[in-house]
Amino acid sequence: MQINEKVSALDGVYQSMYIGILIILAIMLFACLIRAVRGPRIADRIVAVNMMGTMVMVMIAVLSLLLKEGFLIDICLIYALVSFLAVTVISKVYIGVYTEKQHHIQAGTKRKGEESNGNS
Amino acid sequence: MEILEWVRLLVGGALLLSGLLIFLIELYGIFHLKYVLNRMHAAAMGDTLGISFSLIGLMIFSGLNFVTLKMMLIVIFLWFASPVSSHMLARLEVSTNEDLKKHCQVYEELSRLEKDLKEEKIKEEGGEEE
Repeated sequence: MQINEKVSALDGVYQSMYIGILIILAIMLFACLIRAVRGPRIADRIVAVNMMGTMVMVMIAVLSLLLKEGFLIDICLIYALVSFLAVTVISKVYIGVYTEKQHHIQAGTKRKGEESNGNS
Repeated sequence: MEILEWVRLLVGGALLLSGLLIFLIELYGIFHLKYVLNRMHAAAMGDTLGISFSLIGLMIFSGLNFVTLKMMLIVIFLWFASPVSSHMLARLEVSTNEDLKKHCQVYEELSRLEKDLKEEKIKEEGGEEE
C-alpha cells in the first residue's frame, strides 16, 4: 500500500512537470508568433517559423511521454523532416522568384532604352 | 530503487529545464538583436543545443526502448539539418537585400579589406606610441 502511494506520488510529479513545461513552451510559442508577424523582412519570418518548429517538436515529444503513446515520436520525426524541407524549399523558391523579377525589370529598361534610341 | 527513480527525475528534470532556459535565451536574442543575420545566430542555438538538452532529458525519463532511439535520431537529424537551413536563409537574405551595405560592411575586393586592416594596425600602433 505504501509503495503504491509512493509510485503514484512520483507519477503525479512527472505529470505536473510535463504540464508545466507544456504551458511554458506554449507561451514561448506565442512570443515566436509575434516575431513572425512583426518581422520586417521575409528571412525574419522564416527564422521565427523555424524556431516555432523546434519548439513544437519538443512539445510533441513531451506529449508522447505524458500520454504514454510511442507513435507520437514518429510524428515528431516527420515534423522535423517536413520543417527542414519547408525552410529549404521556401528560400530556394523565393530566390528564384526574386531573380526572375530582376531579369524582367532589367529587360524592360533595356527595351525602353532601345525604343527611345530608335525614336531619336 | 525508490531513490534511483527520484535521482532519474532530478537529472532528467534538470536537463529539460536547461533546454527550456536555452529556448528562453534564444527568444531574448531574437527580440533583442536588430537584423536578420544577427537573429539567425541566436536562432541556431535553440535548433541544436536547446532541442538536444530537452530530448536528452526526455530520453532519461523514457528509459531504454525504441522511443529513446527515435529521439536520438531526431537530435542527430537536426544537427545536420539546422546548419543547412541557416545557410539557405543567409543566402536568401544576402541575394534579395538590395541595401545590404547599410547593415553590414561588404568588401567588393579583397585588396581593399587588406588595406583597411593595415591602416587600422598602423593606427593602433601609433596610439600605443602616444
